[in-house]
Formats: sequence, C-alpha cells, structure tokens
Amino acid sequence: MSKESLFTKLIRDNEGVIFKITTIYTDNQEDQKDLYQEIVFQLWKAYDNFRGDAKISTWMYRVALNTAITRLKKEKRKGNKVGIDKVIMKQTEQYDTAFEEKLRVLYTHIQGLNELEKGLMLLLLEGKKYEEIASITGLSPSNVGTRISRIKQKLKTQIVKK
Amino acid sequence: MELEEMQAVWSDLSDQLEKQKKLTDKMIIMMTEEQYRSKWKRIAYPEIMGGIICFGVALLILINMKTLETWYNITFGIASAIILLILPILSLKSITKMSRINFAEKSYKDTLLVYAKSKKQFQSVQKVAYYLSFILMFLILPVTSKILGDKDMFTGVKNIWPLVIFIPLGVAFLVFFSKWVHKCYNRNIVEAENLIKEIHGEE
Repeated sequence: MSKESLFTKLIRDNEGVIFKITTIYTDNQEDQKDLYQEIVFQLWKAYDNFRGDAKISTWMYRVALNTAITRLKKEKRKGNKVGIDKVIMKQTEQYDTAFEEKLRVLYTHIQGLNELEKGLMLLLLEGKKYEEIASITGLSPSNVGTRISRIKQKLKTQIVKK
Repeated sequence: MELEEMQAVWSDLSDQLEKQKKLTDKMIIMMTEEQYRSKWKRIAYPEIMGGIICFGVALLILINMKTLETWYNITFGIASAIILLILPILSLKSITKMSRINFAEKSYKDTLLVYAKSKKQFQSVQKVAYYLSFILMFLILPVTSKILGDKDMFTGVKNIWPLVIFIPLGVAFLVFFSKWVHKCYNRNIVEAENLIKEIHGEE
C-alpha cells in the first residue's frame, strides 16, 4: 500500500473523531471546516515522522488537539456565528429533536470548561483510559485522575446552577 | 446532565457519524495540499499588508529626513519611523511563534502552555501597539505636513486655534481610549494567566 493510500484510509477510518474535535473547538461552520482541513494537513505533514512507538490513535489525537488549540490563537476574525446545534444538524442526516437537544446540553457543558479540561473531557468521552489520556496530554496518569474528578465536580456545580 | 449520560450521548453521536462517512480519497488528498489552505493563510494577510505599509512609510520618512530641517521635526520623524518599524515586528513575531510548534512531538499540555503564554504576550503587545499607534497619530502630523506640503506646523501655521482645540480633545480621547484598552485586554491577559497556573498546578 502506498503512503497516500495508508493515509487516506487512516483519515476515512477516523473522520468522525476529527469531526467531533472540530465541533468542540469551533463555534461556527466555516471555522469548523477550516479546522478540519488544517488537522488533516497537519496529520499529513507529521505522517512521515510517525515512528510507530506510540499507538496511531494516540499520535492522531495529539496532532489533532494541538492543531485545534493553536487554531484558537488565530480565531480573531469574525465568521458568521452559527450555534453548535446547527453545526451538528448539518452532519447528522437522521434528524432527531430529542437527541439534538441532548447534544446541545452536552456541548454547553463542555464549552463551560477551560481548554485543558476540554481536551481531557473529549478524551474521556472518547472512552480513552487514563494511561492513554496521559500519553496524549503529557500529564501523569494520577494527575489525569485528579483533574477528571475535578471536572466531574465542576459539571455537577453547573447542573446545580441551572 | 451526569457524566454517564454525557458518555451515552457521545457514543450515540459516534455511532451516527460512523454510519454516514462522507470523505473520499480525493477530498483527503486535496486537504493535504498547501494550496488548499489559502483561506487559512488569509488570516495573516492583514498583518503582512499592514507591515509592508508601515515599513514603506518609515522608509519614506528616513529618506526625507533632510527636508524636515528643524530639530523638533527631525525628532518627531525619528520617533515616528521607530514606531512604524516596531509595530509590525511585534505583531508578526507573535503570529509566527505559533506556527513553529511541532504538533506531533509536543504534548497537549506543552502546546497549551505555549498557547497560553503566547496569548498573554500577544494581548500585552496589542495593548502596547494601541498606545504606540495613538502617539504615532500625533507625531506623524508635523512630519507629513513638512514632507508632503513643505509646511512647518509649528511656525508656518498662522491660525493656532485648530491646535488649541485639537490637543485637549486628543488628551480627553486618550483617557477614554486607555480605559477601553485596559478593559478589553486585561480580561484576556488574566484568562491566559489562569490557564498557565492551571497547567502548572499539581505537577
């Protein structure tokens, strides 16, 4: 298999993951598309240097999340602000009002977290173990645990406030 | 919404996304091409264009230094040229800093730390840039008047009333302007500082 074929397969296999990352780090469709392209571009640029000493998913999450954070730095320009629910509606073809509402609540909770917590939350929702979260984020596994407990507390406080 | 419920919603979203894959190989290859990122690059264009204009004006002042003649016009000319050279360098430096990060080698925590530090630096630079621009607005008036119209604003102007009105108005504007800049940028600087503290915490 050529390098291009392996890479396109990797992206096709993980297109949903990249999509979810872009919805968390942007708030309008235009920015989301830009970020999606930038993540794919950065993954391609880094692909040659992927040495295989880390899991490919760990490497992919690391590059994608790092790209998303630096994207925040450049988000100065104003796009047409579209609610994140509409962004998701665009992707999910089987429209379900109840599900859409749950997603909206979920995204509202995530948006209430700071950037470090947002990354941890995303990885937790993706079902990653503490060890893998630690290897993506550069925190120690015990520190990941402490911070996740704190996020849980924060989420509870958010619910009480509402 | 409890964490368990959030995980269930996220899992449903993942399933739905899995069912409706849209990307083709051609689309992916297009995204890997530098040319395709033109929209992304456009973000830095205003800074680059601004930089070219600033350097051009600074050069114009420096070339015409002899025509400024008097010590005060020369002083204003030099100060204007310095500000015009400093402003774009500060702005471009803070933009290029982020593009040098190695996304694959650095961890999320380290990248976030670089981001928070550069955000803090960028906001501080913007604050300084606003003040410098304001000072430049005054400094450049006698310089352009002399270079473009060969008129000395301090001795060649017969009616001093426009200046008498203009200077206090400018000072009043500076006071309001400073308060606005302080309000806008300090909040962002504090946010960046909190993020840096949070990242360093319990390590």
